[in-house]
Amino acid sequence: MWHGPPSRHVYKPVEDRRLRDLHASTRTSMASTISEYVTLVSCDGFEFIIPRSAACVSGTIRRMLDPSSKFSEAITGRCTLETLTGIVLEKVCEYLLFNEKHKDQANVSDMDIPPELCLELLMAADYLDT
Amino acid sequence: MQSLVNSGLISLGNNFFLIPFSFIDSFFFRSGIGDQTTLRADRRANRSRNIRGPHSALTDFLASNNISAAQIRDDYDRRVSEAARQANGETTAAAAEDQDSEFEPEPEPESPEDKVKKRKRQQTIERIKKTKEFARRKARKTGEPDDDDDWIANQIADDKARPAPGQLENCEICGKRFTVTSYSKAGPEGGLLCADCSKKQVKGDGKKAPAKKRVSGPSRRQNKTKLLDGETPHGAQSLLEMCIKKVAESIDDVEEFGDLPPPVMHRLSQILSKRRAVTPRILNLFLRRNHRELNIYDCAQLQTDDYHRILALMPDLIKLNLRFVTPMKDNIFDYMVENNKSIRDLHLRAPNLVTDDCWRRFFIKMGPRLQSLKLWDLDAAFDNKTAEVMCENCTGLERLKLQHIVKIGDETLTAISSLKALKHLSLWFSQDTKPEPLLKIISSVGPNLRTLSLQEFKNADDTLLQSIHDHCRSLTKLRFTNNDLCTDQALTSLFRDWSNPPLTYVDFYALRDVDMSNPAGPPEPIGLASNGFIALMEHSGSKIQSLSIASCRHISRDAFETVFDENKRYPHLKNFDISFTGPVDDYIAQCIVRCCPALTKLVAFGCFNIRDLKVNMGVAVIGTVSEPTFKGIAQAETM
Repeated sequence: MWHGPPSRHVYKPVEDRRLRDLHASTRTSMASTISEYVTLVSCDGFEFIIPRSAACVSGTIRRMLDPSSKFSEAITGRCTLETLTGIVLEKVCEYLLFNEKHKDQANVSDMDIPPELCLELLMAADYLDT
Repeated sequence: MQSLVNSGLISLGNNFFLIPFSFIDSFFFRSGIGDQTTLRADRRANRSRNIRGPHSALTDFLASNNISAAQIRDDYDRRVSEAARQANGETTAAAAEDQDSEFEPEPEPESPEDKVKKRKRQQTIERIKKTKEFARRKARKTGEPDDDDDWIANQIADDKARPAPGQLENCEICGKRFTVTSYSKAGPEGGLLCADCSKKQVKGDGKKAPAKKRVSGPSRRQNKTKLLDGETPHGAQSLLEMCIKKVAESIDDVEEFGDLPPPVMHRLSQILSKRRAVTPRILNLFLRRNHRELNIYDCAQLQTDDYHRILALMPDLIKLNLRFVTPMKDNIFDYMVENNKSIRDLHLRAPNLVTDDCWRRFFIKMGPRLQSLKLWDLDAAFDNKTAEVMCENCTGLERLKLQHIVKIGDETLTAISSLKALKHLSLWFSQDTKPEPLLKIISSVGPNLRTLSLQEFKNADDTLLQSIHDHCRSLTKLRFTNNDLCTDQALTSLFRDWSNPPLTYVDFYALRDVDMSNPAGPPEPIGLASNGFIALMEHSGSKIQSLSIASCRHISRDAFETVFDENKRYPHLKNFDISFTGPVDDYIAQCIVRCCPALTKLVAFGCFNIRDLKVNMGVAVIGTVSEPTFKGIAQAETM
């Protein structure tokens, strides 16, 4: 799930109640228990809301979200990944969920990666430690 | 009776029973199909569906009253056609009629024969059921929901009843007469179709009859390959690895790697080299001014110019790792000496065109700077004298690997003992050597050694092990393979009271006695046997990560039971090779799995007593005859 850059003309997140609730669900107050979902934000403003367990497959994101770190990412449940574009981050999220889905299966075939994206994705994977 | 005739039931059976006669008439006249053909086609269709409709019951009844259905129909046909001819005198109709009558059979009573035919067919089917063809088809069909012996047998019978190729037949759809070939398709009613109609039929069938459905995902062979490559059999691969593979796949479209980090470049090079795809164009992608290392594992397609390019474009290289570098010649070495002054690690495989003179020049100039030198597969040059020059000049050498260098022997071993800075030593000589020079190496450089690998030193004996015991106290890796002189006693005393901390990597491949006439070995065991194995695991069990005891076939079952006792744990053991150790059976293997919680790879070639092994998820079991079962995973998914 994703929505466009925060431009009024393109998309109005406020008007979508379900999305707003979803956003709220990712936010954690200091006292409350950590939420089940986290938000990943690309450099061009795309937001992806995915389960925390899936996101933590990535070592970098896991360390960002580690509650003991007291990073702002850990507190808000919102990671801004300045180096990744929306297109790449979408594929990354696809992989994170793909991994989550197949984690107990034997002999998983590889995810489909478009060739034009693979070098950028390679850099992203290296950065995200996935 | 008249109404029955009009309805078309008598003449044409249940297949046409809703079609008005007028249509059938025009069909007959236009096509010129004889009734025999039609009936045959009709029966065939019936048979293939194995339905006995009103046709046989009625014809039976009519036959018993001596009335022929065919006769009635023929009369009707004649009357209608005569009427048609009289009405408009159509010549085509007449011709068709003439042709029709040619094929007309004598009006025979169908019905009594039907019983006989039925019985005959039944016999044929019984016979078919015993044939090989039937067994083959049945085997192919199993798994389908409605696999039915009778159905398969009927199919075969129908196939046999088809006109043989070369015969003439009338097309079922257009009625054209054509020669039957093996490509002729069966029509919707079971008859044959001419070439044109066959094509149309195929087009229509294309969608509903796809080829055998394949289960998606990698094949069994691919899975085995992955296992051997060390990939985990469960879960998805890392995104990085997937992307690297994808890049390697579409390498021909890549114009520039961009700022890929060196480890990724290294992995890419490994994959491309394995595919033998490193061409001069692809080499360019790897040449980056700011990188300090270059690893190309297959340089077979590179030319002399390409080596110059590597050295010229990457003058700050620290590590140069090139394999299969046959075109590398003296002038390239000389250029490297002049231009690439920062090279510290040099790994070259098979630079056979470099002469001894050049090697010596190189060592004299570069020697003091070298930290790591690995050379494989040299036969044309590099003799003992060169090795001595190397040992004299490479005073700072910490890592030395010499494998399959044909011309070096004992003198080189003696020279190596002067390399005081050595921390990692790996030797695999082609010549036979004496045991003494090895002792000298161990006694002089042993105390510093972190890793020691001695392969195929067939003349090394117990004194070598004793020397390792006495001198080495910082080893983490020990490889000693292919020897049948060292005794179990010596191996036991190597590990007993050894001041060396626990080893993390041990490879004792093929330490065993080989005597065809005495497979059990001598009473005093030779090679790694029971006591040696127990002592090894007592010494190193707490830290060991990788262990190979492949072909150490004198280790007894009792020793395995002692080592993999219920209370023992080897928390770091990841890779374990137990190939060709006879006593390992299901029970021992299960004990191994229980004692090694970190196990990821168990190699068990030739362990024929392992039949039903249950392992945790994430463990790759290689080489067993039967597939292991994984806890918590359905067996079907593991294929």
